[in-house]
Amino acid sequence: MSHVPPHVPFELSGAELRDAVVQYATAPIYHDNMDWLNHDRPYRRQLRPQVLPHLDYDRIPGRENILNYPSLAVQRLLTSIYEADLVFFPKGGLKGQEEDFRTFYSPANRALGERIRPALERYAFGFLDDEVETSGNWTAQSLDAYLDSLDTGGDEEQSPVEKAVRGSSDPERAARMWLVQFAPDFLSEASPMIRNVLGYYGPAQSEWFKVVIDEYGYGVHDTKHSTLFERTLESVGLESDLHRYWQYYLNSSLLLNNYFHYLGKNHELFFRYVGALYYTESSLVDFCRRADRLLREVFGDTVDTTYFTEHVHIDQHHGRMARDKIIKPLVEAHGEGVIPEIVRGVEEYRVLLEVADFDFTEQIAWMDAQPELKKLHDPVFEGLRQGKVDAPVAHIVEPRGELSNTHCHDGDELCHIVSGTMRFESGLGSSLTLQAGEGVVIKRNRLHGANIESDECVYEIHSVGDYRKCLS
Amino acid sequence: MTFPAAGRDNCVVVAGTPYVYATVGGRGFVMRARCPHRGGPLHLADVAEDGRLTCPWHERRTSVARLRAEIPAVRVGDRVTAVFPDRPPDRGWPTPRAACGGVALEHRPLAAALARPAPAG
Repeated sequence: MSHVPPHVPFELSGAELRDAVVQYATAPIYHDNMDWLNHDRPYRRQLRPQVLPHLDYDRIPGRENILNYPSLAVQRLLTSIYEADLVFFPKGGLKGQEEDFRTFYSPANRALGERIRPALERYAFGFLDDEVETSGNWTAQSLDAYLDSLDTGGDEEQSPVEKAVRGSSDPERAARMWLVQFAPDFLSEASPMIRNVLGYYGPAQSEWFKVVIDEYGYGVHDTKHSTLFERTLESVGLESDLHRYWQYYLNSSLLLNNYFHYLGKNHELFFRYVGALYYTESSLVDFCRRADRLLREVFGDTVDTTYFTEHVHIDQHHGRMARDKIIKPLVEAHGEGVIPEIVRGVEEYRVLLEVADFDFTEQIAWMDAQPELKKLHDPVFEGLRQGKVDAPVAHIVEPRGELSNTHCHDGDELCHIVSGTMRFESGLGSSLTLQAGEGVVIKRNRLHGANIESDECVYEIHSVGDYRKCLS
Repeated sequence: MTFPAAGRDNCVVVAGTPYVYATVGGRGFVMRARCPHRGGPLHLADVAEDGRLTCPWHERRTSVARLRAEIPAVRVGDRVTAVFPDRPPDRGWPTPRAACGGVALEHRPLAAALARPAPAG
């Protein structure tokens, strides 16, 4: 055999990776928006490319930092990259968006996305390597005992989301914010799952396909689960075009949805997907039952909850199908060595659910607390003046209509208006108007944005770290 | 059975046999806390140069690979879920007859060599 040069696996890191991320995200379809919403523009996703050169994509965050801004930026990037595999059209037709359409699906956009995807996945999901660890020799019998022990039936205690919505000062607003979090997943429902329908791998493949058939409503568009979810959105006054609410997606909502794309896109993680599929299908029965009850409580009889009641029924079958017709035959065919990955998939998904519950609960509390956080400006600003905290400060001047697309910070900040008027956005349907001399405490990791409503606004952002230190 | 990876209640006693979560070479696993030789406290063992555990009682060495394989488990954060056998292990120092049956949570101190390192950063 003639000389073969050594194989060098593909890897991107450091400045090269950062430059590649910036190259991908500087396409015009990813620039900032002048509006909080995308109006039937499925190819437009605000990635805030101006910030991306300043982030470090090599230092993988631990769980305690997984809701920081770099993670939100990476989740937005990954959503965009994964979705270039899916087909989207504007509800109102393609006319006028042909250029966006071509750009989003262009070989250049796809190749640039694929180039950075492995490094971004390492950044986004690397914390799970520390968080979940399997050990020991798993057998079919011990897997059965483990799956039996999982509590997927739920109990009567309220979930964190139910507590957040019911306990909110504005339950309807909280419930709308909650529904919007599902839009990235439910409008293109089962698309990550379909990645595992392709190929040739025996009877489990056909069982997997049956789950997809149910999700797709057996080819009858009115019963397709995404259609049912559109009706839910519209019945509570929300719109159902793709990514209209992009700027209101929480970090963890994208994290959950991207996780399934990550597992489906990387087939070496196939067995992990099997575990996550089992847990999601098994636990969705209880989740959907609660969602139906909660939405009726908040909105009354006008809300269309068919999406959720349909899942209460069909997922009883899917949980059983995943266990008896997918997991069991796969273990029989490929050996007990695949079990740790199945277990890992179950547990990783459960970790992500916890992260999402926490993130959503905190965001609702943050939206509800806006009037208090506005009042808190005065004592915190006074504390800064007295030098209680030496905080870096950014002095900013912006013209009317300048919209800071939504983002979050890795520590608390104080926004102080020197002159002009700002609309401070803290969630869907949640905003404050800030005038000269006023301001607001911006809490760590909480999604927010701003819009200038005067000819000019001069304001300061004080990076205080922990606002309570300014009060002591 | 789910229990803490460290601290209070870090030891599950199943059918008279104690188990703890240990970390060797950066990889965690659930292991018997009793030496198969004479029932010594294996949770206080040192890790020898050959990678085996050395029991503090009689310096009897036990293969980590064998211990690692014994109990299927998954750690999530600082909680461990393990699937334990219904009966005590067939081999090794016998479990006291009176202690057999039931499940209890206890605390067992862990040798520094077996403790999970704190996360970096």
